Amino acid sequence: MTKSLLSINNLSVEARSRTEVVQAVNGASLEIGEGEIVGLIGESGSGKTTLIRSILDLHERNVQVVSGSMIFKDIECYNFEKEVNTLSIMRGKNIGMVFQSPRASLNPLMTIGSQLREVLKKHCPELGREEVRSRVIRVLEEMGLDSERVRRSYPHQLSGGMCQRASIAIAIVIQPELIVTDECTSALDVTSQAEVVNVLKKLTILHQTAMLFVTHDILLASELCHRLIVMQNGVIVEGGETSEVLANPTHPYTRGLISAVPRWG
Amino acid sequence: MKNYLLALRKTSLWNRILLFSGFGLISMAVFAPVLPLADPNGQDLESSLYPPAFLAGGSIKHVLGTDLLGRDVFSRLIFGTRLTVVIAVSAVVLGAFFGSILGVIAGFKGGKIDALISRITEAQLALPFILLAISFIVARGQSLGTLIFVLALVGWAQYVRIIRAETLAIREKGFVLGLRVSGCSDFRIIFQHIVPNIFGTILSLATLEVGTMILAESALSFLGIGVPPPGVSWGSDLASGKDFITMAWWLVTFPGISIVLTVLFVNTAGDSLRSHFDSRKRIF
Repeated sequence: MTKSLLSINNLSVEARSRTEVVQAVNGASLEIGEGEIVGLIGESGSGKTTLIRSILDLHERNVQVVSGSMIFKDIECYNFEKEVNTLSIMRGKNIGMVFQSPRASLNPLMTIGSQLREVLKKHCPELGREEVRSRVIRVLEEMGLDSERVRRSYPHQLSGGMCQRASIAIAIVIQPELIVTDECTSALDVTSQAEVVNVLKKLTILHQTAMLFVTHDILLASELCHRLIVMQNGVIVEGGETSEVLANPTHPYTRGLISAVPRWG
Repeated sequence: MKNYLLALRKTSLWNRILLFSGFGLISMAVFAPVLPLADPNGQDLESSLYPPAFLAGGSIKHVLGTDLLGRDVFSRLIFGTRLTVVIAVSAVVLGAFFGSILGVIAGFKGGKIDALISRITEAQLALPFILLAISFIVARGQSLGTLIFVLALVGWAQYVRIIRAETLAIREKGFVLGLRVSGCSDFRIIFQHIVPNIFGTILSLATLEVGTMILAESALSFLGIGVPPPGVSWGSDLASGKDFITMAWWLVTFPGISIVLTVLFVNTAGDSLRSHFDSRKRIF
């Protein structure tokens, strides 16, 4: 593994309702290296989204981290015991996120260009008008989009795959070191999935951006990720190099996930 | 100017009709004092209860007839536009402004703030309108300002409930979460992104409330606590004409038709405006 970018240690998260407390994540520890793509896989309800929301400090009021710490680029950005929390400062600037639903993750009343400009103005206020424009065009072209058309388009004027690539553009326009993608291909058809995966691959190579790729599609994860982490019922049950996990799964749950992949014939 | 004329030529016939109706209504309200009309409060007891000019016994001097005190109904209708529009629009704007802000805050913040705003709203809705209006007007004295305040006080709670529900739905959308991930402040998310997305709902609700406000004002006039004399409004004319409905139908019919047409106009214009400004309706 390359130099560590994000390290999560013994993270536990609880979701509280009036009648019960659910342990959504239980003692999770993982590490992501610089420029590395890590796949987080597991079935729905296994705690993947709760774990990544903890990284971005985006929990609802009833969901709380109850233990653990996080280190980003050798700096302790979260420690429950020491009450350290600088995650909100890192949001957007150091860590970007791509969501599941391509259309819902874009403001329907704003053009793609204005949404990109807004992020740039927030994080790079020193940039001039022309510089902002050229960065918007560059990032859209990197996504394989027709920059002139797309930057003037509203989300409803684009296809699902184009919207998702526009969302990725918004997440990476200020070049964060880490991108977290929350099942960003599950709402797309197979062709659009391939487009998005290719864009993500190209992106990590081009900018050396690390990625935490959350999915329940083990095939897709195996195509994209350097390492895989398997989660079940809020617990990380297995982790390792992608080829190693797929060839020799040690946990019965991982074996079950692999055997559940549909095959020809 | 050239661009506006070009846009007007491109717009549909229905929108053009709405635009000219609105322009006519506002012009009537603004220019009423300079129009060659009879004094709306000028009494002429010899011309009491004249029917409209097109009926037997009517006079061309009083196109839509006269009331019990011989005041010209047409003149009162034109002058009535001023107060009616001012009262209804001011009450709606005030109620929509405060109600929408509270609704957005309640929906976006949630928790204790939401509970507090929701309970105050429910308390307001539990109070009967007439009781509230009588208490305020008796305590503060009958004036135009008090009347607008009372109507706004009655209207704001509707906005809170609907806008809160809308905000709750939009808050859960991916783009709001995305904005939080991008590091946007709550203030920016609310006013730059959520409010434009719920503006259509605010506009629809406000246009519906214009009609409610005109009718509420006429209800207060009916009780004698509406527009203070010598002010002229359609509501007060409707209320004073009700006693003569069997012998002088024109006293209630013309203000009634004016109210119906205005409410219809405001609702239709609201729908057109909402469609016009909604970028989701643009295709390519």
